[in-house]
Amino acid sequence: MRNLINPFAGICRRPNAGPLKTGACRRDARCAAIGIPRALFYFLYPGLWQTFFDSLGVPVVISAPTNRLTLERAGLISETEHCLPAKILDAHLDDLTGRTPRVFVPRVLSMGRGYIACPKLAALPDAVRAQFGDRFEVVTIDLDENKKPLESTLVALGKQLGFDTMVAANAARAALQGFKNKILSNPDKAEDDPATTGNEALTQSGRGKRFFLIGHPYNLDDAYLADPVRRTLADLGATVDRIDDNRVLRGEGSLKWDMCALMFEALKDLDPVTCAGVIQVTSFNCGCDSMAGLYYR
Amino acid sequence: MTGLAIQPWGNYSLALAASVECLRVTPWTQRATTPESLRLGVEASPEFACLSFKACTGHFIKASMEGVKYGVMVNSRGTCRLRYYREMQQKILKERGLDMYIFGLGYDGFKPPLIRYFDPDLIPFLKCCARAQQKTLTIDTLEREAWRVRAIECCPGDTTRVLNEALTDLDRARTVPQIRAFARGIKQRFEQVPLQHDRPPLRVGLLGEATLLRDRYLNHNLEEILGGLGVEVRNFFLLGDEMRTIFRIGLFSPNSRWRLKRLARPYLRHLVGGHAMDSVAHTLRCAREGYDGVIHVGPAGCMPEVGVRPILRRISRDMNFPVLECSFDEHTSHVGMVTRLEAFVDVLRQRQSRR
Repeated sequence: MRNLINPFAGICRRPNAGPLKTGACRRDARCAAIGIPRALFYFLYPGLWQTFFDSLGVPVVISAPTNRLTLERAGLISETEHCLPAKILDAHLDDLTGRTPRVFVPRVLSMGRGYIACPKLAALPDAVRAQFGDRFEVVTIDLDENKKPLESTLVALGKQLGFDTMVAANAARAALQGFKNKILSNPDKAEDDPATTGNEALTQSGRGKRFFLIGHPYNLDDAYLADPVRRTLADLGATVDRIDDNRVLRGEGSLKWDMCALMFEALKDLDPVTCAGVIQVTSFNCGCDSMAGLYYR
Repeated sequence: MTGLAIQPWGNYSLALAASVECLRVTPWTQRATTPESLRLGVEASPEFACLSFKACTGHFIKASMEGVKYGVMVNSRGTCRLRYYREMQQKILKERGLDMYIFGLGYDGFKPPLIRYFDPDLIPFLKCCARAQQKTLTIDTLEREAWRVRAIECCPGDTTRVLNEALTDLDRARTVPQIRAFARGIKQRFEQVPLQHDRPPLRVGLLGEATLLRDRYLNHNLEEILGGLGVEVRNFFLLGDEMRTIFRIGLFSPNSRWRLKRLARPYLRHLVGGHAMDSVAHTLRCAREGYDGVIHVGPAGCMPEVGVRPILRRISRDMNFPVLECSFDEHTSHVGMVTRLEAFVDVLRQRQSRR
């Protein structure tokens, strides 16, 4: 198990804030470490949160990657009827217990203008506070792209944490750049996909066609959940393209859940000549996918 | 006359049926989902769709098979699956080769498409609305009276019999004065039921997802089971209250949106969708108002209601207040449900005797 602990822990780095006053910042409550569970919003905005807090000089503690024990713990401590990613979030928060005085859980309300997020994400900070409020302070911010662009939300979060506007704005810019870089350097792009290096039997039998892998980022990017699918496909020699998270939603259609709309639009743009088929990775009890499946088909 | 299928809304189906009479259509509805409708809905719906969707879809399929050409379904702009019900049901009906058009109701301009299409005359339409509203409020009163009397009735089933007779009579009432006269006689009707006062009834709040709260087939007749166990229930979904909230005319009502929001705020700081915020607010209210417990009802996997369950559990812990969570799907066993309710009531009785 690997814990990503910020190498700058204990040292407050404040961009453009003049010389560091390390001693003062160590006593500063705003520089207390913040935990980020490696689940849900961690994958929805890869690299964003870590870069943001790093830029503010707030030490970040990220929970260990999901493994079998995480899954078992999730089954024990989480609400029985939650979808798997929500259960895994609880297990990751449990993993952070004793390692950080506060955790960050944003309230994701919309990830694209004209769209809405899954309703479970709207209750998430309150649900986490209800379940883990005795263990951590829960730092949260409403993330609603219908009302405020992501950059302004990040600035507001920085201010909420006690940083001045300039520092928060610089951190927000750095975070957005980090987020963009992370998405662009996604190792799952077709060119570098390990699946493409597998035996070519299936590809040849499929006359060079590729398979398209869709799913919510917190399912596809959580190695413990999606890697078995990828490995199997690689063993079969299938060439796989992953859905592009950087796609811009067009605001068309009646499917308003942001991630589902992303998948739906990607499917509409698929070229049946080059695509052999679509594989959807979904989690048990996902309310959005239960309805959107009919649209995808 | 053309038929119009309306989703079952418990006893309120009578009022909803009355509301479409001016459209010169025959309302096709039921006071509860039937086993056959549910079977049809389960067969046609996606496996992980919620029970409310399956039941409603089955209802429309059944109606269409019986020759009904139109249906009406609530349109939602919220975050939960209800938003997609109408569109998906239309797709499912089309896939099965059934010819039915489902109108969306609400949030579609001043004149909903249903009204635009049937274009009723203004005066009959207004009269019809007034009649439907009056019937809705009268059903609210009937429900409240039935909850109170059922918990202390001598012979199980008396209250239900009186309630059913009253609903049949209410269905016959054609004008607002007739409905008002009927409402004035509600107390006397329930006075016929012999009561026993040997032990105080428990007070339990029923809250959660609206369809499950109102459809007695889907919720395995929770109200009657609890009433038979000596529990005075308070079902927090009353359509009259809900309409006041929807039309924002009950700003000072205890169930107005802003009051519920304020009540829930210590535990829930944002709207979630569906009736999740109401569930949190009403749980807090029940705890403060001296209820013995609450039962949180929802379809299995309901996105908003499941999302707030950790919060309900926290309230239960903080306020030492019993909360029973009941999820329903097509596989829910009636016997299992009765056993859970009996055990819950036993716990409440023990707590009552310790006080």
